[in-house]
Amino acid sequence: MKSKEPPASRPDDAPPRRSFLGQTGGAAMALALATSYGTCGAYGLRFLYPARPPRRIWQFVAVADRLQPGESMPFRAPDGQRITVARQGEAGTVEDFIALGSTCPHLGCQVHWQPDRQRFFCPCHNGVFDPRGKGIGGPPGEAGQSLPRFPLKLEGGLLYIEVPAEGLLV
Amino acid sequence: MSAVSRWLAERIPVQPGQLRELTNEPVPNHLRRWWFCLGGTPAYLFVVQIVTGILLAFYYEASPEHAYESVRYITEEAAYGWFLRGIHKWAATLMIASMILHQMRVFFTGAYRKPRELNWMVGMCLLVTVLLTGFTGYSLVFEQLSYWGATVGANITDTVPFVGAHMKRLLLAGDAYNEHTLSRFFLLHAAVLPVTIGLLLFLHITLIRLQGVTEFHFEDEGPSEPKFFNFFPDHFLTELAIGLVLMVLLSVLATALPVTMGPKADPLTTPEIIKPEWFFYVAFRWLKLFSATVAVLSMGFILFVMFLWPFIDAWIRRRWPGSEFSVWVGTAGALTIIGLTVWEAAVAH
Repeated sequence: MKSKEPPASRPDDAPPRRSFLGQTGGAAMALALATSYGTCGAYGLRFLYPARPPRRIWQFVAVADRLQPGESMPFRAPDGQRITVARQGEAGTVEDFIALGSTCPHLGCQVHWQPDRQRFFCPCHNGVFDPRGKGIGGPPGEAGQSLPRFPLKLEGGLLYIEVPAEGLLV
Repeated sequence: MSAVSRWLAERIPVQPGQLRELTNEPVPNHLRRWWFCLGGTPAYLFVVQIVTGILLAFYYEASPEHAYESVRYITEEAAYGWFLRGIHKWAATLMIASMILHQMRVFFTGAYRKPRELNWMVGMCLLVTVLLTGFTGYSLVFEQLSYWGATVGANITDTVPFVGAHMKRLLLAGDAYNEHTLSRFFLLHAAVLPVTIGLLLFLHITLIRLQGVTEFHFEDEGPSEPKFFNFFPDHFLTELAIGLVLMVLLSVLATALPVTMGPKADPLTTPEIIKPEWFFYVAFRWLKLFSATVAVLSMGFILFVMFLWPFIDAWIRRRWPGSEFSVWVGTAGALTIIGLTVWEAAVAH
């Protein structure tokens, strides 16, 4: 009786093939792990990042003609920020007007007006601004920073301002 | 062996000899002097912070509507709340002070040199993490200092090139302080940063155990005197004594100089006189002297140099053997820090 011959084998190739398969499998698993955990990590980071961009809205300020050249008026944004809106020209365009915020451009503290010295002063790091909001002393003066200006628009003789709608008081 | 001991030995297979070896690291003789034990002091105070912090968290509410009221309740109504909050605040102060002293001791004795460079770097990470924990801690009270401190802190990160704006948004959960900000600070203060400190501390102590403590010999030590003593019980007793002194000191401070409540946070008004906690006086004064970008980048650079100092120092000593440059740098640095801190403390603006 003829015995069955074992199937042709290449014993010399077996270990490299096995180790190749093992290494490929290991690498694929490592890649899958890195991808899945990396994706979860990225989702986690995105979760911590604010969901929406900061909202800004246009708000009515005043009837433009009521504000004469050289006059100014206080305005309070929805987030509570104090803004000074002043008229500095007579051309009848939006360029006549300027809106200055009270948030110091240095590190975000609130400036206040010092009438005796005719200047805005920031108590956090001694920032000083002239009445037009230009930094003239302290770190903002050194860095050439000014008080923030808010966009204005004139529509049908009415003055509007664009302000942030995000903050602790909103 | 009793039945209980046998039962335990089967379930916890550690031989008494192994335990003795693990706990009985030979301690160099110079550690009999207490000022060489300043490294253990912040570690002890960290445990105090964890315990008092967990207790305070039972009443604290991390929302802008309730945070201030909950801290007022802890301070004025809850039984011993004033004492526990006082201990927490003073332990933070002593922890930072002892870390600075420990770092100065390590610096001026050159204990950061080869092969201990990595442990100096771990120590620097610990210092920065503890300072961040202090910063997020006083932000939680939601008094004026808390709000404006958080605002200034977030805007400082904003000045970092490229990533600053994203870091600020991540920290504040928005472009400005909003209703999600405080819970973020609370999570950082009560979970993320303490766990980081714990891991760094573990690494710090592991490296000390692996490398052993640097040895110093003093003139009054005779050649026949033993150079080491046992960790257990000798050094352990020293640490216990330090722990006892610290507890007495903390109790006295919490009672004699109790914590108070400042005015509640007002996002519309920055107070005329505002200052951070004392450990940030130096940074606060620095920010007044230069523009924000220059101040932040220079502070970052100084921290970076401090972080890599063991390698910079090694390079200097290779170039100029026998140089005492590190002592001069350390003295100048310490005097500058003290000078700026005293200056900020002495003036209103």
